[in-house]
Amino acid sequence: MVLELKNITKNFGGISALTDVSFKINKGEIFGLIGPNGAGKTTMFNVITNMFLPTSGEISFHGEKISGIKPHKITDKGICRTFQNIRLFSQMSVLENVLVGGHCRSNSGVLRSVFRTKSQRKEEANTHKVATELLELVGLSNYEDVIAENLAYGQQRRLEIARALASNPSLLLLDEPAAGMNETETENLFELIKKVQQRGVTVLLIEHDMPFVMKLCDRIAVLNFGKKLAEGTPEEIQNNQEVIEAYLGSEEDDQIA
Amino acid sequence: MLLEQLINGLTLGSIYAIVALGFTLVFGVLGIINMAHGEIFMIGAFIGVLVTSVLGLPLWIAFIAAIAVTALLGYMLERIALRPLRGKQGVSHLAPLISTIGVSILLENLSHHIFGAGNHPFRNSFAEIQIQIGSITIYIVQILIFVISIALMLILSYWLSKTKAGKALRATAENLETASLLGVNTKRTITTTVIIASALGGIAGILVGMAFNSVNPQMGLSMGLKGLAIIILGGMGNVKGAMAGGLLLGVAETMIVAYGDSGYRDAVAFITIIFVLLLRPQGLFGKNTSEAGR
Amino acid sequence: MLGELLNPYHLQIASFIMINIILGISIYITLSSGQLSLGNAGFMGIGAYTSALLTIHFELPIFIGVILGALVAGIFGILIGIPALRLSGVYLAIATLGFGEVIRVIFVNWESVTQGAVGLSGVPHLGRELFKTVTAMGFEPEMLGLRNNQVVYLMVLTLLVVINILLIWFFIRQNKSRVGRAFAAIKMDEKAAESMGINITYYKVLSFTQGALLAGFAGALYAHVMAYISPADFAYHRAIEILIFSVFGGSEVIWGAIFGATFMTILPEALRVISEYRYMIYGVILILMMAFRPQGIIDVSLLKWIKNMIKSRRRTDHGTGTKKHN
Repeated sequence: MVLELKNITKNFGGISALTDVSFKINKGEIFGLIGPNGAGKTTMFNVITNMFLPTSGEISFHGEKISGIKPHKITDKGICRTFQNIRLFSQMSVLENVLVGGHCRSNSGVLRSVFRTKSQRKEEANTHKVATELLELVGLSNYEDVIAENLAYGQQRRLEIARALASNPSLLLLDEPAAGMNETETENLFELIKKVQQRGVTVLLIEHDMPFVMKLCDRIAVLNFGKKLAEGTPEEIQNNQEVIEAYLGSEEDDQIA
Repeated sequence: MLLEQLINGLTLGSIYAIVALGFTLVFGVLGIINMAHGEIFMIGAFIGVLVTSVLGLPLWIAFIAAIAVTALLGYMLERIALRPLRGKQGVSHLAPLISTIGVSILLENLSHHIFGAGNHPFRNSFAEIQIQIGSITIYIVQILIFVISIALMLILSYWLSKTKAGKALRATAENLETASLLGVNTKRTITTTVIIASALGGIAGILVGMAFNSVNPQMGLSMGLKGLAIIILGGMGNVKGAMAGGLLLGVAETMIVAYGDSGYRDAVAFITIIFVLLLRPQGLFGKNTSEAGR
Repeated sequence: MLGELLNPYHLQIASFIMINIILGISIYITLSSGQLSLGNAGFMGIGAYTSALLTIHFELPIFIGVILGALVAGIFGILIGIPALRLSGVYLAIATLGFGEVIRVIFVNWESVTQGAVGLSGVPHLGRELFKTVTAMGFEPEMLGLRNNQVVYLMVLTLLVVINILLIWFFIRQNKSRVGRAFAAIKMDEKAAESMGINITYYKVLSFTQGALLAGFAGALYAHVMAYISPADFAYHRAIEILIFSVFGGSEVIWGAIFGATFMTILPEALRVISEYRYMIYGVILILMMAFRPQGIIDVSLLKWIKNMIKSRRRTDHGTGTKKHN
């Protein structure tokens, strides 16, 4: 078991964003987190990465309790994420973005960096090697020196994944990776996530593109109004009456609005 | 003795409050700190010197002249140093801070060149008139300053809460985009805000001239920093906080001078800035939001 | 020949350029992690007074005084930097401005130690101390055909140039490393940087402290180059001047601060008329820069352009060379 969430509740002021949510993610699987807008999916990501502290509940990662430790330590432990509204270091080059991702897998301080000791040079070479490899994986090898904000939208999403992978996570959190992508880009993304899985990385993703999620994920949990509605394989979810109602209901609301 | 010091403190504090109101209005609406506000205040004081001491005209004309000149300065500040930065892509949020610092040192050194570095006396016919109540001595000037300040605060509060323009200003301060959607002419509101804030600074300049009978080009800097201290103390963009903070600082400074070391009088404000920012970044009177201080 | 070229006054100006470059780097390095500190004049003052007092009262050698001055400023940097983490943007700028003013007020009022507003005179002069050392070793200015004061100022300048080269080398290397990337990441997006495993607290305090340390170092050098310091040397106007170096020269790259410090030191000296209107011109520059070129004169793309120019020039030089051979 990679990640276990036990009775997570998160309140903002008087409003409950998550209520008593529990699920487990097994090693090597692609786990989908779906639900209508405002269901608490991104809040869940923020809770897992300790950007927010949960009001109550417990998170364990590889059997170790991780609630309450600093966000950068979470990355160190092997959880890394992407953001719904892409947060690249926009004025850095593509390569530099991925190098930053390798930060927690290296440890040269000021003096070693300035005097370029043997160990620092070795470490730097390794960080570069990993970064180049990852850029190849996400298909951005030819863009190394391009400034990140000049990339096309789909490329930015893939760069964000490469940057997160550079921290060598055992659990990768993807927040709506397919949002705003066209059909070809979505297909490429599908292949990419499958490749990531083959590298032995467990993936937890939030996504609205239902055919994409159903095709990609091994298991899925559904959130609605901060509560877990259902959990299971894509087939189970597609046939779950409550889920269908929640989605139909929200669609009707959309039409009214 | 204590009561007399308290009166001195309140007089000083009421002027501080007027200066701080100028800061807080601009911050509330534009979300920026106008580092040139102190210098606009100083220009107001010099206009007072020119009108009363040099031209020998009555005090009320000094007020009108100072308001006119500082309002114009406010308009120019908005057009030259603030508007060009607004809504421009890739401009750091520090840009307006830096460009108003630019205006501040330009104004300070301009008046240094025109008026020289020394102190200029500020004459008025009733500077020495005083009233004796029991053992306490009160100067007429102090009463006048206090009354004018309180009147200004009341007028401003009324204007903000009751008039259409005031409501537009508050709506813009709340949320610029929403206000704009609701049909508020935000461009005009912003300009109005900077003009009113600057005119308040000009009035405060004359009040300080009346209170201390001396005006110099460097007074803008120290007053500006005190104004900053006050709005940080009272909560950024908080009108009532600025008034209360101003009075508080005035009294605190007077007490330091009377019962402590007068050399550290100016440090009170700066130490206040540091401590409030670190301990209670939303200010003494500010709402407790996680975004405060960010 | 050499003797006529070396005007002690010009040497002194060049030394000021070197000190100002250190100050420029000090604000740049703090900005490189996204923090605007207006307290560097205060840190400069701490370094200057520490070193001056130690060398005057305890007769410490200047270089020890300068190092201690920088260290004390650095310690203040940590003390201010940690609580200042809670602040960002304009709030940080104002808090540090307030800190600088508090420091100045203390210098003015702590008369028993600092001599108050009058200032400290008789600070050991770096050049004269160096001169004493070399003459004691048997060196005579006449050996180079120079007068004594020329040698004095020349030695100061040489030392400062060496220090500057080392500092620039240090920070360019730091910038290109893991540490520099962490600073840049924090500047661009603090949340994302944190998610990538960067310890925000550590790196922000590190860059703030480096800035304070450098400013203190520059201040200590200033004290021993001037041989006289007063609180007015470290007031608001100094803070603005340091800000100008970076805003005018360019705040994105280290060369910006270096260019800004050099240009802004030479300008008032080269044009006397300008000297009189110096601060007014500073004001206008700040306004114009923010409106038209907020990143400063030298930015990343200008540097790239210069690099390409040099490269292509080399290539054409090479080309004409081969033609001649044909």
